[in-house]
Amino acid sequence: MSMGYVVLIPLLPALAFALLAPLSRRARTRAVPLAVGAVLGSLALSIAAFLAVWPGGHAGEPVWQGVVTIAHIGDRALSLGLQLEPVSAVMLLVVSLVGAAVQVYSLGYMHREERIGWYYAALSLFTAAMLALVLSNNFLGLFMAWEIMGLCSYLLIGFWHEQEPPRLASIKAFLTTKVGDLGFMVALAVIYAEVGAFDFHTVLDHAWTAASATPVALLLLFGAMGKSAQFPLHVWLPDAMAGPTPASALIHAATMVAAGVFLVVRAFPIFEASGVALTVTLWVGLVTALLAGLLAMVQHDIKKVLAYSTISQLGFMFIALGAGGSTAALYHLVTHAYFKSLLFLGAGVIIHAAHTQDMREMGGLAGKLPVTSLAFASGSLALAGIVPFSGFWSKDEILTVLLHEHQYVAFGIALLAALVTAFYVSRLWFRVFTAPPQQAELHEGHRSMLAPMVVLASVTAVLGFFGPTLGGFLGHEIPWPQLATAAISTAAAAAGVALGWWVYGRRTSVVNTQAIKQRFPHAYGVLANKYYFDLTYGYFVVGGYDALTRVLAVFDQRVVDGAVNGTAAAWRRLAGGGWTFDQRVVDGAVNGTAAAWRRLAGGGWTFDQRVVDGAVNGTAAVVKAAGVRVRTLQTGSVRGYQTLVAGAVVLLVIWIFVKGV
Amino acid sequence: MTVGLPQLLGLAAMLFGIGLYGALSRKNAVHVMMSLELMANAVNINLVAFSRFVTPEAMTGQFFAVFSMVVSAAEIGIGLALVLAIYRRKKSVELDAVQELKG
Repeated sequence: MSMGYVVLIPLLPALAFALLAPLSRRARTRAVPLAVGAVLGSLALSIAAFLAVWPGGHAGEPVWQGVVTIAHIGDRALSLGLQLEPVSAVMLLVVSLVGAAVQVYSLGYMHREERIGWYYAALSLFTAAMLALVLSNNFLGLFMAWEIMGLCSYLLIGFWHEQEPPRLASIKAFLTTKVGDLGFMVALAVIYAEVGAFDFHTVLDHAWTAASATPVALLLLFGAMGKSAQFPLHVWLPDAMAGPTPASALIHAATMVAAGVFLVVRAFPIFEASGVALTVTLWVGLVTALLAGLLAMVQHDIKKVLAYSTISQLGFMFIALGAGGSTAALYHLVTHAYFKSLLFLGAGVIIHAAHTQDMREMGGLAGKLPVTSLAFASGSLALAGIVPFSGFWSKDEILTVLLHEHQYVAFGIALLAALVTAFYVSRLWFRVFTAPPQQAELHEGHRSMLAPMVVLASVTAVLGFFGPTLGGFLGHEIPWPQLATAAISTAAAAAGVALGWWVYGRRTSVVNTQAIKQRFPHAYGVLANKYYFDLTYGYFVVGGYDALTRVLAVFDQRVVDGAVNGTAAAWRRLAGGGWTFDQRVVDGAVNGTAAAWRRLAGGGWTFDQRVVDGAVNGTAAVVKAAGVRVRTLQTGSVRGYQTLVAGAVVLLVIWIFVKGV
Repeated sequence: MTVGLPQLLGLAAMLFGIGLYGALSRKNAVHVMMSLELMANAVNINLVAFSRFVTPEAMTGQFFAVFSMVVSAAEIGIGLALVLAIYRRKKSVELDAVQELKG
C-alpha cells in the first residue's frame, strides 16, 4: 500500500495557513472552517497512519520514509525527510487529536474575536510544524519545525498585542526559548562535524564515545530545557498564559513544550552513550518537578497554577529520561498531553463563566457547570495521580523506573513532588468548584466547547488501561504497576488531596490562608516571588544590556558628536577669518569694477532694458510657467514616487519587448 | 526535479513581484524597506543564477552579487537611521506622515 498520504498530515494545516494568511480580515473569518477541516483531515490521516504501523513493536524501524535531497555540500548530500515509525505514529495521534480538539473548541471560545481568522492561521501553522516535527527523520528538519513553532508560540502569546502584558510576555517567551535554541543550534553543528549527517539513522548509529557524546547531549538538553521550560529557563511559560486559553492548551501544555522531551527521546542513544548527560537530565527534572510544584501552590491565577503544573509534569518526564526510561517519559508525555489540554480547556470555560482568572473570586461552579466539572474532575484526578485515571499509570511507570535503577534519592524527591502535585490540584478543585459561590450568573460553555472536552476526558479516563499495549507498540515493555509502588504513590497522592481538602475544602466559608502566610512569611515570600528568578534575570541580563547601551550612548555623545561639533567649530572660525578678507579685498575690487561699468552703461541703458532684460525676463517667465505645471509631480508622498518609478520600469520593459534589445 | 536556470529565474521573479507589491502597497516605512530588500535579493539570485548557468568559469556574477549585498546592507543602515530620525520627529513611521518635499 502506498503510504504517500503521510506527507499530507503536516501539509494540510500548512496549506490552511498558506490559504488564510494572505486574505483580508473579513475573508479570513469566513475561511475559518477550512482550517478546522484541515486539522480534522490530519486527524483522520493520522489514525490511518497509526493503523498502518499497528501492531508496531519494531522500535525505530521506519514503516515508511520519504526523503528529498535539498543540496550538495562538497560531495555530501544534505537531505530532509519524513519517516513513520511507532514513536512518530503515537505522537501523530496526540498532536492531531489535541490540535483538532483545540480548534473545534476555539470556534466557541474565540467567536467574538475580531481577528479569529489570524488566530486560526497561526494555530494551523503551529499544528503543521508540530506534525512535521514528530515525523521528521533528521535533526535539521526537526530544528526547522522547532523554530516555526517558536514563532507561532510568539504570535499566539501576543495575540492580544494591543495590551501591554501579552506583548511583553510574547517577547520574553521568544527570547528565553531562543537562549535554549542556541544550544540546539551549536549541537547541530557539533553533530555535523562529528558525523557528517543529520538523519537519525546515521547519527544514532555513529560510534559515540562518552567524550564525544557528552557535549552534544548537554547542548541538546539545553535546547530541550528552553523549549520544555525547565529550570532555570522556565520563566517564560507562566507569562505565556497571557495568550488565548485554547492556544495555551495546545502549545503551552500539550505539544510544543513536550517537544523538548521528544527531542531527548529521539537523541536518547547519544544521552546513553554520555552517561553524564543522563545524570544532569535527571537532576534538572527533579529540581523542576519539585520547585515548580511548590510555586503552583501559591498562585491565584487558575491558568498560572496549570502553567506551573505543566512545568512540574515536564520535570517528571525529564526525571524518567534521566533514569533511562525513555518509554516511560513518552508514556507520561502522551497522558499529560491529553489531561493537561483537557484542564486548560476546562479553565477556558471557567474563565468565560466567571469573567475572571483569579480563583479567589470563583467558587461553587460544580453545580452550575455540570459537564465542565465532570470533565475537569477527570483531568484533575489524572494530574493528581489517582487510580484509574491516566496520570496515575504513567507517573507510576516513572517511579518504577527510578526504583529499578536504584535512584532512591530521586525516588523520594519525585514522590514529594507527586504529593505537592496532588495538593495544588485539590486546592484548585476545592477553591473553584466546591467553595461557596461568589457570583450568581454562571453559564455552562457552548456545545462546541464541551464536545472536545468530553472526548479528551474519556481518553484520560481509559488511556491507562492501554499502557502495556502502548509499550508493546513502541517495542519496549510497560508493565502493570507493582502493588508496592502503586500503594506508595497512591498514598502520596491521597495525602496531598487530603491536605488540600483539610486546608481548602473542609469549611463551608471562604478560605482565608492569611494565617498560614503570616506563620511562614519567608517561605511564602520566596514562593510568591517565584524564587526571585525574574528579578535576577531582570537585574543582571536585561539590566546589564541596558547599562551597556547607556555606556555606548555616552560614547556616542561625547566622542562621536564631539568630533563632529569640533570640526564644525574649526570651520566656523576659519570662515570668520575669511570674512574680513572677503569684505575688504574682494568686495573692493568688485565694487570698483561695478562703478566703472555703471559710468560706461549710462548710454547703453535703453538697449539694455528693452532687449537684454526682455530676453532674460521672457526666459524666466517660460521657466516659471513650466515649473508651475511640473511641480504637481512633486507630491512629497513617498508612495507616489514609488508608483512613478515602478510605472517607469514597466514602460521600459514594454519598450524593450516592443523594440527588441 | 532538477533546479535549473528557469526555476531560479522564476523564484527571483516571484520574489521581485512580492517585493514590488510590498513596496507599493505598504504604508509602514520599515515594511517598505523590507520589500526593497526582497527585490534586491531577487536581483542577487538572478546574478548568481546567470553566473552559475551561463558563465560558470567566470566569477563576475557572484562577485557582483556580493558587491550588491554590501551596498544594500549600507543602504538599509542609512534607511533605518532615517526612519529612526523621522520617528523621533513625527512619532510615526507611516510614509504618509512625511510630505515635506511637496513642491
